[in-house]
Amino acid sequence: MSYLSSNAAIRRYNVRIAVAMAFYVVFLAAAVWTFHGYHPTGIPAFSLAILPSLPVVGVVVIVGLYLAEEKDEFLRNLLVQSMIWSLGATLTVTTVWGFVELFVNVKHLPLYLIFPLFWFLVGVSSWLLRMRYK
Amino acid sequence: MKNQLRVLRAQRGWSQADLAERLEVSRQSVNAIETGKYDPSLPLAFKLAKVFETSIEEVFQDEQ
Repeated sequence: MSYLSSNAAIRRYNVRIAVAMAFYVVFLAAAVWTFHGYHPTGIPAFSLAILPSLPVVGVVVIVGLYLAEEKDEFLRNLLVQSMIWSLGATLTVTTVWGFVELFVNVKHLPLYLIFPLFWFLVGVSSWLLRMRYK
Repeated sequence: MKNQLRVLRAQRGWSQADLAERLEVSRQSVNAIETGKYDPSLPLAFKLAKVFETSIEEVFQDEQ
């Protein structure tokens, strides 16, 4: 069995992400359904609006746990490097897009898309870094 | 940093996967260290020396 397939940290990470994503789907569906059916206001509306973001915040904690539990320093280093590259790219893209939005009539970038954008760019960075280390 | 991983492995007839298993790291880690693209931490360098039953100086050499 290879290290990657026997790696307990990766296994735990996959399970935790699956659970977080399951909660995300349930919370999002609950929020959409409740807002459409009951039109809540005030504190209940805020609470419900925040609900789908909680599993997403949980993903940050899950990645932190993975970094703490991963025993392979090279894999840890790879993820941290990927996240740093992605952070730079996400800040660049969102800042440039923000100024374009300010002066030109373009589509507004919803803030909740920044999180998936960041992780998409982590994936791209990780692939590029793996090519470099091949 | 230069290293003798390939030579030391060959002397023992170990593949990168064999060495990775002994070190409890991924094969990618061994490959990155062996090709000089990644310098391991001191604890991993000591572990490498221990696995090869030699000294760190026999495994790694400063290029300067």
